[in-house]
Amino acid sequence: MLKVENVKKAFGDVIVLDGVNLTVSPGEVVSILGSSGSGKSTLIRCINGLEKLNDGRITVDDFDVSKPRDLAEARKRSGTVFQLFNLYPHMTALQNITLAPVEVLKRPKAEAEAEGRALLASVGLGDRADAYPSQLSGGQRQRVGICRALAMKPRYLLLDEVTSALDPEMTAEVLAILAKLATDGTTMLFVTHEIEFARQISDRIVFLEKGKLLVDLPAEQFFAPDGGLAQPRVAQFLSKMRKD
Amino acid sequence: MRYTEFTPFDLWLLTQGLGVTIGLFLATSLLGVLIGVVWGVIRFYRVPVLTQLITFVSEILKNSPVLVQLFLVFFGFPGLLKMNVTPVTAALITLSANTAAFVYVIAVSAIESIGRDQIEAARVFGLTRWQVLRHVIAPQAAAFSIGPLTALLVNQLQVTSLISVIGVMDLAKIGANLNLRTLKPFIVWTAVGILYYLAAKLVAMLGSALEKRLRAHSAFRGL
Ligand SMILES: Nc1ncnc2c1ncn2[C@@H]1O[C@H](COP(=O)(O)OP(=O)(O)OP(=O)(O)O)[C@@H](O)[C@H]1O
Ligand SMILES: [Mg+2]
Repeated sequence: MLKVENVKKAFGDVIVLDGVNLTVSPGEVVSILGSSGSGKSTLIRCINGLEKLNDGRITVDDFDVSKPRDLAEARKRSGTVFQLFNLYPHMTALQNITLAPVEVLKRPKAEAEAEGRALLASVGLGDRADAYPSQLSGGQRQRVGICRALAMKPRYLLLDEVTSALDPEMTAEVLAILAKLATDGTTMLFVTHEIEFARQISDRIVFLEKGKLLVDLPAEQFFAPDGGLAQPRVAQFLSKMRKD
Repeated sequence: MRYTEFTPFDLWLLTQGLGVTIGLFLATSLLGVLIGVVWGVIRFYRVPVLTQLITFVSEILKNSPVLVQLFLVFFGFPGLLKMNVTPVTAALITLSANTAAFVYVIAVSAIESIGRDQIEAARVFGLTRWQVLRHVIAPQAAAFSIGPLTALLVNQLQVTSLISVIGVMDLAKIGANLNLRTLKPFIVWTAVGILYYLAAKLVAMLGSALEKRLRAHSAFRGL
């Protein structure tokens, strides 16, 4: 279980997360919607330990990310896919994928490489294992980014707007992979602006507004007039997104 | 009695002087790079007090004349530390420290040139700070800094000539002796200049060869 309990986070005087509660159970796909600046990325960064909490608690399978002793274990259980890929530019696609399994999980190199190649093949990059990030398209880079996260066999996959730096065609190729992961039962916490896609793959959708979690509903109820849409802010947000 | 003509033995003397210059250059470069990189790593770990101390020392070393530093070590240390400082020791200490100060600056900017986002990615996947330094930062920082480092070392090679002032028998000192004896400054200093030039050229060439290898090994070309 991934648990976010009453989390508060401020940068200086600016309160970015204001008492957020959220639980993700194994096997669930939970999408986070919310307008720009609502704190979505900050929430993800708090979960993977890149930001310190001001208050509240985040636990990943009972490992508290705020406790230095637990953080390493918590991080082993969650894998992050980044908006701007964040690949290591001096390493090939395969090296990007095997670095953490070899160094952190102490997997034998040959084994990690075999798995890395299999992962790359599964996202249609079987022949690009030795390419450097600069030699790959944005969509290909993001597929490597997904493989890199999956190589750690995380229990929870955290994705922060992983397609927003991609053009529509590349977006489609990455979303297809995520849809497959969802079907395979991968647990995902998925920040996105792809409303329709979120609706298709999510079990639950939550809505973040000015650091507060306004809505947390099963996907179909989120879009129902008496569900999420009953919230004026959600209705406003959805109609604006559909217009864009 | 004065010998005013050149003899074949003078060539041998010049070669010896060149040997001393190159030897001191190699030793102080090695020490300087090592110390400068260690200082850079200490700063990367943000070790309190030590980091500020290193930055302060590096500032002083960069912004005062090497000659003054050399005199301070050669004439000042014996009295202060009650130890005997030979010219070679003074040269080793001064040049190593001076090189370290500049290498520190290069190391710091090389480390800072690595995108934050990659480092965050590595941390999120559980790599320790040391593993991040070793696998993500160091290879890229090395490729980044080899150019400035080569330029620095070419310059430091010229700076070694200052140590002739305290009596180290390096190339410049041999040149000065030869000049006194032959009274042919134009020929002597041209020959000495050419030898410095050739040595510097060699350093520059080795640097660019290494740079090519490092960049090929980490074959990324920006975007
Ligand atoms: N390191 C930081 N220092 C100061 N303020 C920050 C920092 N990171 C984020 N913020 C602020 O926190 C707020 C929330 O930012 P966050 O990136 O979490 O929003 P978001 O919901 O992910 O937005 P977007 O949809 O544009 O990605 C913003 O007002 C932002 O300016
Ligand atoms: Mg964001």
